Amino acid sequence: MKFRYQITLFLLTLIMSLNVEAQNAYIVSGRVLDQQSSEPLYGVNIIVMMDGETTNRGAVTNEDGKFSVQVPSGGSLLFTYLGYESITREITGSGSDMKIYLKESIDQLDETVIVGYQEKRKEETTGSVIKIDAEDLAETPVANVMQLLQGQVAGLNIQNNNGTPGMMGTILIRGISNINVQGTGDQALLTPTSPLFVIDGIPIEDPSQYEYGFNQAGPGLSPLSLIPPEDIADITVLKDAQATSLYGSQGAYGVILITTKRGESEVPIISYSSDFFVSTPPQLRDVIIGRGERMSRIHQIIQYDTSAVHAYELVNQTAILSDSLNPYYNNATDWQRLFYRTTYNQSHNINASGGDQEFNYKVNANFYDSKGIVDNTGFTRYSLSMNMGYRPTEKFNLSAYINTSLGKNSKGSGNALAQTGIAQAANTTSLLPSPSLYTASNETLGAVSIDNDNKTVGVSASVNLSYELFNGLRLNTATGYNYSTGTEDTFYPSLLQNDNARVFAYNRTSESLYNRSSIQFNKTINDAHNFGIYLNETIRLSNSKSNTITQVGLPNDEIWGPFGYNAALSYGSADAGVESRSVSFAGSFSYSYKSKYVADFSYRLSGSSSQGPEVPWTKSPSVGIRWNLHNEKFLEPIDWLSFSSMRASWGQTIIPEAGVYDIYGRYITNPFTYNNQETISIELGNLPNTALVPSTSTMWNFGVDLGFFSSRYGVSFDTYYRQTDKILRRKTIADINAFAGVNTNETSIVNYGYELSFNAHILPATSKWDWTIAVNGAWNKDVLAKLPDNDRQIFNGGEGEQPVVNRLGGNSLSNYLFHSNGVYTDNSQIPVDPLTGLPYRNGGTLAPGRFFREGDPIWTDINGDYILDDNDRVIVGNSQPRVTGGLSSNVRYGPFSFSTSASITLRRDIINSAIAERFQSFSDPMSENALVPIDAYDFYTRDNPSGAGYPDPYDFTRYALYTPFRPDQTLFQEDGSYIKINSIGVSYNFDRDWTEAFGISSARINATANNIYTFSKYSGPNPESVSGLGRDSSGGYPNSRDYSIGLNIQF
Amino acid sequence: MMMNYRYFQIILIAISFASCEDFLPDERDVFDPDVGFVQTEFKPLLGRNTLMDNVFNPANSSRPMDFEIFNMRKFDGSPAPELTENFPVVVWEVPYTGEENSLEEIEEKRGIQYRPLFSVREHAGDFLMWSEANSSFVRTLPDSGYVFNVSVTNTGGSRIYENFRLMPQRERPFEPSIYDPYVGVAEEAYVRPLSVSGISGEESGRPLFNDDIEIYFNKNEDMEGVGNTLTFKFLDENFNSIDPANFHLTDWENLVHGFNMELTEEYVRYKVAYPIPLVELNTKYTNSSGERAHVVFSYDRLNAGGFNEVAEIVFDFAIYERGHWEIIIIFPNESPAFEDY
Repeated sequence: MKFRYQITLFLLTLIMSLNVEAQNAYIVSGRVLDQQSSEPLYGVNIIVMMDGETTNRGAVTNEDGKFSVQVPSGGSLLFTYLGYESITREITGSGSDMKIYLKESIDQLDETVIVGYQEKRKEETTGSVIKIDAEDLAETPVANVMQLLQGQVAGLNIQNNNGTPGMMGTILIRGISNINVQGTGDQALLTPTSPLFVIDGIPIEDPSQYEYGFNQAGPGLSPLSLIPPEDIADITVLKDAQATSLYGSQGAYGVILITTKRGESEVPIISYSSDFFVSTPPQLRDVIIGRGERMSRIHQIIQYDTSAVHAYELVNQTAILSDSLNPYYNNATDWQRLFYRTTYNQSHNINASGGDQEFNYKVNANFYDSKGIVDNTGFTRYSLSMNMGYRPTEKFNLSAYINTSLGKNSKGSGNALAQTGIAQAANTTSLLPSPSLYTASNETLGAVSIDNDNKTVGVSASVNLSYELFNGLRLNTATGYNYSTGTEDTFYPSLLQNDNARVFAYNRTSESLYNRSSIQFNKTINDAHNFGIYLNETIRLSNSKSNTITQVGLPNDEIWGPFGYNAALSYGSADAGVESRSVSFAGSFSYSYKSKYVADFSYRLSGSSSQGPEVPWTKSPSVGIRWNLHNEKFLEPIDWLSFSSMRASWGQTIIPEAGVYDIYGRYITNPFTYNNQETISIELGNLPNTALVPSTSTMWNFGVDLGFFSSRYGVSFDTYYRQTDKILRRKTIADINAFAGVNTNETSIVNYGYELSFNAHILPATSKWDWTIAVNGAWNKDVLAKLPDNDRQIFNGGEGEQPVVNRLGGNSLSNYLFHSNGVYTDNSQIPVDPLTGLPYRNGGTLAPGRFFREGDPIWTDINGDYILDDNDRVIVGNSQPRVTGGLSSNVRYGPFSFSTSASITLRRDIINSAIAERFQSFSDPMSENALVPIDAYDFYTRDNPSGAGYPDPYDFTRYALYTPFRPDQTLFQEDGSYIKINSIGVSYNFDRDWTEAFGISSARINATANNIYTFSKYSGPNPESVSGLGRDSSGGYPNSRDYSIGLNIQF
Repeated sequence: MMMNYRYFQIILIAISFASCEDFLPDERDVFDPDVGFVQTEFKPLLGRNTLMDNVFNPANSSRPMDFEIFNMRKFDGSPAPELTENFPVVVWEVPYTGEENSLEEIEEKRGIQYRPLFSVREHAGDFLMWSEANSSFVRTLPDSGYVFNVSVTNTGGSRIYENFRLMPQRERPFEPSIYDPYVGVAEEAYVRPLSVSGISGEESGRPLFNDDIEIYFNKNEDMEGVGNTLTFKFLDENFNSIDPANFHLTDWENLVHGFNMELTEEYVRYKVAYPIPLVELNTKYTNSSGERAHVVFSYDRLNAGGFNEVAEIVFDFAIYERGHWEIIIIFPNESPAFEDY
């Protein structure tokens, strides 16, 4: 894998065979091919040169790359093609089988990127922009293309922490932008801040709400999962404020541009690619089963109960322990195998494209089917997309794009984020029989017998018209429309619901209309001064609404409504539609002098319905400059430095966070406000705030791009300082008010960091081998800069939860934990209150079991009151990774290529609830949960009361009173650094001459393994499968390991 | 190359510019302006260890915070050395469990330390009053008592709270008490048991209730030595002693956490450590909250119907002062019947 702008090298020596004829003019014919892929190049300009000067004679290659041209003797041919290095060939005679291999341009700076809706040469870009070719990504079939970008771009932190098919992990560009937490404990989630995705120039629906798989009702499919990765041509990541400044009022979290493939060849090309892949679950945890489990429980009860009599009574009362001859209790069921499975999946893609300068088209059909590694889950995508471009004259250009896709998925009994039901069921004691109609485990049956059927249909279309009024002045208008509907139907059979079969239906529709009109003017004076002015206006309208219906008490399991249900138990809900509008006016001015000095200025004025009427408009200015030192005369003598440039930019971007109800409030039917009568009243949860504004991000960026030794080595360094202000946050207000809280824009975070990318062609151009390697790393630090009401510190969550601390000047999200300091091995070590004579105890209602004794964890009594409570927590740890990065390497030898990629995440703290839960499984020997072996850990027991790492897990009688394995203690906070081998792939290109016999112009096979191994000191299951707050919960959906074999054919 | 050097210099300057740490707020401990004491007037009872906890709300401040009492003074402004000077107090060094087998074992768990009689827990903000403070040298209600200031500090800030009131109440050496908390005058001579059941009058045969039993706490000043005994006596309607052996179902061995039991025809006496109970902890000698010792005197007899009836007198009490205490249980109205009907 490698970046497109990266350096490529000669693999093959040039083959040229010419028949010399003593004539005045030679007829030369042959083919022009891509040096790497040996694909014919269509439309290559061939210019006849005489004495080093171009003439007006020449030719253009046809779709097979063939050309024929007459050259006067002594002349030469110049082959030029956009994106490729030009080649000149001396012609010394006629020839008919001349083969010209053009090499892809290795100069990163000549590549074009799209920034702010305008195509620009990278050399003239002042922002921080990275473009990745889809062909450089791993050839693994994935539902969501973002999975493949992990570790590929410095500063783009992707954590694939949700393995549910079709769902999305977390994506952050340059650190977090929000500190709001929803939920508590293991389920605490950081408010997602996904970058804006723009597909072929049209922004798509905010994917943030899908980041955790839409942890609510509905299909939860990420809109990105509806785009077939095979149809993507390239992906551009815009990181700094200058690059993102023109992207509407939503670019504050960064922008990712996705361009789909286009037709380029006059003769239609039909390419077919297909993958078969096997998904395997991660290693399942060991459990103690059968007699071993029963004996372990009985032993624990007898040893630890308060008296022997009571212990035997308990054993005798607990049927799973005493009734061992009963076939119902005499089992050794492997519950995990019932849910986790290895699946065989496939994907197919057909792409037909063709066209020329005047007219081009592309049709892409895609089918992707992935069955989840958890039973009863899966994702299937059908997609059909097409685009076309029509350019009858140089002045007029029309392009249109339409994409329709249907995603079907099943979440089983869980939601898109978590499979809590499965986690519970897999945590069932092995002594119970496997699930059937007559067994008791509802979760188990639920997981396999609930019928969950989700459909997401997305249609998006866009039309782009542009007309050049006169030379340099171009008018452009682009209109896009997205429509998507998501439905969920879930059926719960009657045996799970006390004979009341239940059906749940959810329906969501959303649509958005987008229009952008612009005027663009470019002018070059004296071949040196280049001016560009760009003015645009964007309008965006969107709305969505959803409703649900639940019918309970269906006649039987076959009739799923709509009649015959029990009306008294059935209910429904309608979500008030959310409508939003935004409009913005923007202008930009750019100037460059001989490509040496480049300056960009832009200014944007945006208004939207998520801004309060008091502050209707937000201004977003930006400035960027670039100095291309390699174009300076003084650097010309240094030939090892092939290019060098510096960039600096400053700018502001915004993102609306408030909803229209936060601004204006809402009226609801409230059952209790007046005399216990239902009335219509204003919703009292939040005070309307008409002064709400979007969150603003101000970013400084400084970058250096260097290339050495004819661009064989490239280094790119960026440093940035980003301040995100006016983050929306709810604060509670004094309870003398009618309203409970108010949303304000009073929170600020600063992120600053460094990013370094390095890429190299290790081997010289003369080698038959080609080895490219790309390494990138990013160091990011976030600092909390402001809190509402000028508070300096806020604790979120308390007793029994895993609180998060927001502290000014520190990292935005710290843990607030009890400080573990070992285990009491003797009662004499326990501190005693000299006044009351009572030993140190766990807080709460005083009970003898709360006093610490030997075998209990030592938690530091920070405030010295001999009671362990919230006052004894310490602020510790950082849930956000400090360093992220990746590595990719690609080795080619002839038709073979071998690629591998890895990603790295360092210095983040994870609360390992997984281990805590392991020990907790012993907290109640009478309960019907699974026992996980803990022999591997060093813990205290009464038989072996040595100084141990973990407290006594067996003291079940007091367990609830002192919860030794609470996850919110430093004992379970671990370093979550990891290095993951993302993929290893091998591919082979069949010889073209051989395949042509079958009418196939190119054929390739590949084999890839994905998510191969994670190196980590973390003792939990997987350091990546943790929430954005660094909480590891066993309810999550594990990531599968995939092995795929693919075939790629072009006709 | 000269140019190159300059160019790297520019990079260096730019990088140092990018590290904008200096413009960001410092990470330091936080002193939330919302902190405060929820109680500023304290009325501990003298003669017993009193913990006044949960009086401080740290809000969102960083913990631990430092608390200090200063300017402790009498209400008229004169200094109050009796509360600020160190004083020998009995402190627990090893936890009391209720399982101790001798007086020595209990006493070994306690030691003497020098501490001010009124203090604040350095990091928790709880106020402590030691039992050694007594009304002979500490002002008590209805006197206006003492005034003091408290400073609360952490590295993020500090605040001073002024004019907290400390108005100790007079000792009540035992509970249930017969003394008025303000003036210390005895309002009653005796207290009643917690519950009485199954006792019949010797003559009338009528059931005896709480009202028919009076319990007197008497500190026997005539006995020699350190006050470390507890005696139970029973008197009938004529103030003649009842043989404790009549309460033959009583678990005399485990009646109180005492040792060397003397069971005579007139009384039962234990060597005990004061206070009783020693620690507010639920043991077999206390009630469920651990605040009071819990004693049950019990016997059975055949009643008028020919049934065996179990009689019980239940009494929960606490004694805070050392001494040779006697608990005298009197049946002033009618003596109980011990004989079978």
